[in-house]
Amino acid sequence: MPFVQTLFNGIITGVIMTLPALAVTLLFGVLKFPNFAVGAMMTVAAYLAFALNAQLGWPLLPASIAAAVAMGFVCIGLDHVTFKPLRERGGITLMVASLGLGLILENIARFAYGNSARSFVIELARPFRVAEVRMNQEQMVTVAVATTAMLLMYVLLSRLPMGRAMRAVADNPSLAQVRGIESPRVIRWTWFIAGLLLAGGGVLIGMDRALEPPMGSNYLISVFAAAILGGLGSPLGAFVGALVIGVVSELSTLVIPPNYRIGVPLCAIAVILIFRPQGLFGQPYIRR
Amino acid sequence: MISFLVLMGVVVCFSAILALALNFQWGLGGMVNFGLTGFYALGAYASAILMLKTGAHPFVASLGAIATVAAICALVAFVTLRVTEEDYFAIVTLGVGEMLRLMALNEDWLTKGALGLTGIPRPLGTVIAPEYYQYFLLGLSLALLLGTVWFLNVIARSPFGRLVRAVREDDVVAATLGKNVLWARVRIFAIGGGIIGLAGSMHGFYYQYVDPTQFTNIVVAYAFMAVIAGGRGAHQGAVWGAAAVMVLLEGSRFLKDVIPGVDSDQLAAIRIIIIGVGLLLLLIYRPQGFMREYRLQAELK
Repeated sequence: MPFVQTLFNGIITGVIMTLPALAVTLLFGVLKFPNFAVGAMMTVAAYLAFALNAQLGWPLLPASIAAAVAMGFVCIGLDHVTFKPLRERGGITLMVASLGLGLILENIARFAYGNSARSFVIELARPFRVAEVRMNQEQMVTVAVATTAMLLMYVLLSRLPMGRAMRAVADNPSLAQVRGIESPRVIRWTWFIAGLLLAGGGVLIGMDRALEPPMGSNYLISVFAAAILGGLGSPLGAFVGALVIGVVSELSTLVIPPNYRIGVPLCAIAVILIFRPQGLFGQPYIRR
Repeated sequence: MISFLVLMGVVVCFSAILALALNFQWGLGGMVNFGLTGFYALGAYASAILMLKTGAHPFVASLGAIATVAAICALVAFVTLRVTEEDYFAIVTLGVGEMLRLMALNEDWLTKGALGLTGIPRPLGTVIAPEYYQYFLLGLSLALLLGTVWFLNVIARSPFGRLVRAVREDDVVAATLGKNVLWARVRIFAIGGGIIGLAGSMHGFYYQYVDPTQFTNIVVAYAFMAVIAGGRGAHQGAVWGAAAVMVLLEGSRFLKDVIPGVDSDQLAAIRIIIIGVGLLLLLIYRPQGFMREYRLQAELK
């Protein structure tokens, strides 16, 4: 039953993408520009986890948690040296800077580990079958990790003061400032959380496929498509968008050559922009 | 050595033309093009395929490449900008560029996939003796470079050039004054695309083969670096910027002799890191670049 199997694989791909898509949408909400370095950030985080896991012999879970926390701080540091001095220069300059930063990060990973594909050290387990669908343990872990992360993000954004502050800054930065919200602190927290999410995404991609320098940027278009489909800046939208894009991309391989899978998110972006530019859950964009 | 310098000159020329194209789209028109590599590859492949499959004359093939890339760029700009803002435009150009590169890699019947197309004819390649050909190629490249600079200077000083800068500075004001912003942007992106196509076909003439490995991210990195270094909007600046970046890039080939124990992948990585760091430093500390954009100035008496 190839259809059900492909559908299942698509859901897994979508679940993996929920984490970076949420990071992209949070970053866009608070900083107001699409960040092209997120792909390379996932790569770097995955290699950090790889260093702890394969080279120092830690089990993957603590290695990933340590890498995620480290990535959170790395992201704060990178924002401080690259984006902070450019904050007032407008979206295009920031986008170009993020592209440059992405190239640097991806090539640091390439310099350290070369172009060859690597994989985490995890105990191999036999795949099992549920009603003709082949699943493996990594996919179950993926679903569990992503679900937990989404629940935590929901609690953060809807219940905790910092989450409310982030949403306030995303909604209207100057009003937030007038109401006494310190935007530098909000930006730092946003980057920290984005770092955690991107590290999660990087490790999950590494488990699903393999670790190689372009592993993160290969997902860039799909992740942007997911965030745009959901409405840039909308966390719930990013979640739904990632699942839809993941499933549709996988299902498309039944009719088009798998090499052109990237065409699906691209066409999705075009269709969304023509028919519903604000995405599924976004606010209609009003220029001021 | 002379031969190396001559060939280097040719590389600088077509890199400068590519930088000029980006400078027109982004520096003058305010439209970022993150898919530059893909459009560049499209130009190179279009010209090569026209010559190899249909036996077109190299000059005709170059015109074909210019028209092809301009048409695709116009289409991308039209579909994307009909409704939205530059954020989305950047994402779409990145995606389209990636798609074009994938097509070069996978459409075996047309592009021979990873093997690439070899034996690309050169303009007047059969007429001029091989030992003098490199000088001719340098002369031709210089002429095309000067022609491109002249063409862009004419545009920048024309009424259309003023519209281009107006759209970059504030599209709402331009629209309020009755200018058709979408149509202006489509034309900006298409003109830039045509110049990318020219650079792509020259790439083919120089290497005499095209394969997907020639079109990597470093093309985007160095073109943006060249434009920022030269000063956004300044055509001559983009040329000097491209020359400086290419010398830096080619010079870094010799790093291998200086740093022992670095393999070629690592060397390639170092070169991109250098370019990336340079790009960020320029953006932060010297965003205006080293040359100024043309401005209409009144004579002071």
